[in-house]
Amino acid sequence: MNTYKWLVRREIWENRAIWTLPLAIGAVLLLAALFGRVEFDVPFLAVQTHSAGALLLFAFGAVFFFVMSIYSAWYLLDSLYADRKDRSILFWKSLPVSDAETVIAKLATGLLVIPVVYFVVADSTTLIIAFIVSLRARTWLGASLWNPEIWLQLQVLWIYLILTIAIWFLPVAAWLLLVSAWAKRSVTLWSIMPPLALVWAEKMFFGTHLIGEALSDRLMTGYPATAFHDFTGSLAAAAQGTAAAPLDVWKLLAPVDFVASPSTWIGVAVGVALVAAAIKLRARSVEL
Amino acid sequence: MPPLIEARELTKKYGSYVAVDRVAFCVEPGRIVGLIGPNGAGKTSIMRAVLGLSPYEGQLRVLGREPFRERAALMRDASFIADVAVLPPWLRVDQAIDFTAGVHPRFRRDRARALLAKTQIKPTHRIRELSKGMKTQVHLALTMAIDAKLLVLDEPTLGLDLLARRGFYDALVNDYMDEARTILITTHQVEEVENLLTDVLFIDRGRIVLDSSLEAIAGRFAAITVNNDQLPAARALNPFHERRALGKTVLYFENVAGAALAALGEVHTPTVADLFVAKLSRGAA
Repeated sequence: MNTYKWLVRREIWENRAIWTLPLAIGAVLLLAALFGRVEFDVPFLAVQTHSAGALLLFAFGAVFFFVMSIYSAWYLLDSLYADRKDRSILFWKSLPVSDAETVIAKLATGLLVIPVVYFVVADSTTLIIAFIVSLRARTWLGASLWNPEIWLQLQVLWIYLILTIAIWFLPVAAWLLLVSAWAKRSVTLWSIMPPLALVWAEKMFFGTHLIGEALSDRLMTGYPATAFHDFTGSLAAAAQGTAAAPLDVWKLLAPVDFVASPSTWIGVAVGVALVAAAIKLRARSVEL
Repeated sequence: MPPLIEARELTKKYGSYVAVDRVAFCVEPGRIVGLIGPNGAGKTSIMRAVLGLSPYEGQLRVLGREPFRERAALMRDASFIADVAVLPPWLRVDQAIDFTAGVHPRFRRDRARALLAKTQIKPTHRIRELSKGMKTQVHLALTMAIDAKLLVLDEPTLGLDLLARRGFYDALVNDYMDEARTILITTHQVEEVENLLTDVLFIDRGRIVLDSSLEAIAGRFAAITVNNDQLPAARALNPFHERRALGKTVLYFENVAGAALAALGEVHTPTVADLFVAKLSRGAA
């Protein structure tokens, strides 16, 4: 465990953007909350203000979330490749750290450490923003932002997102690591081209589109459909003020469905196989 | 004591190209062995196999372990510097020390600090801010602070200027070698390591062509410098190499009685560098 602590610390030393980028986003949002215009002239019903406040905070969270997803993917794709590019792999390999430990530490950094850092920064930022906005706009909106119930919901949503995303996107992260361990150059191209080639070859030779569907399910539609009860629908309803009740995170989350879904576990199995392959490649990567 | 490194039938192929061809050798504890060969001879392939950086065929035991399968465990007792400038550019010197101390049970932080205190390098420097020579100093300080049973150096001074190369070997001799250490070293710069070595392994085209201690070289090899009139008589003694030097000819012999040679000219023991050239010159006599 001690080795993993140092390996993750090394990732944070090397990739300072892990914390500087969310801090920069937080700073921009804070400046906007401090000096931006706060003006809401849409009359809300009391029951909807609750949702509107929550939505505002969720929107802040979404900004962090969006940047985090892109950064994390980039990090995974670069992580093993960077050591080979600057030849520092010869230094890392001179230490008593196994290739499995190295690869797993990088996977954990991309799937857990980076999201947790964003979570902590997003959380503190939204807390401060809620405080500022509630002071500046002493209206119903201010009151609804400064609301423990919304706050708690946000925490639960974040933790749920971090855990389920780490599981659902494990095969994607593992694929990025595999490319990172293998490709001599143009890691981005190598991460995209082989799956596209497979989709094309399947259509060409079998006339079917199974791989393409599996990929788009894994990358886009599958996650919200498996981990949530009608995620987009609930958000849209809350945004339009047509929701019967305030936005309720408890009703959105579908942990039982997520755990019971075969597609969750197929993904885990594929992910584990790809991680094992990445470890094998890392063992001989001085030759690659 | 069993040998620290024991190779039998060690073979490394890249596709159909055989880089190392059924090589056998041993490195005994306490020796300083030079693995010497021309470019493309297979030195790096052997080093990578020994360090667990690449798979191989045949039998290889380093500190009783199979290097490729057990690299991480092996690195607790062995350390290496492969090539210069492989420390990551973003790393700070104090981070390098902290990290190594964190993952390496045999790393002595105070020793690394003491070694670096003798240099111009500050703990807050990043590797990318240092000159090539300073990078090597950092790497050497980190490596020498590891209480390893085996140190492997693969072209450790490649690309360094003369001052930095001297500094490297001086540090190695003065701060490391006083204790009972085993070192395996490859380099092109034979002259530089000649005084350090206790043994040499010459390798050419994937095969070992000479495996000898330096003491044994004096008894086994001889060179004579002869005038042209003595040349036919000297050639009759079957030299394995000859070269022209200032109108005279130097001939190299293996296992030929010193008395027979002394009658023909001035006898001397060839240096490792001379022997290297003599043994490995293509189309040698």
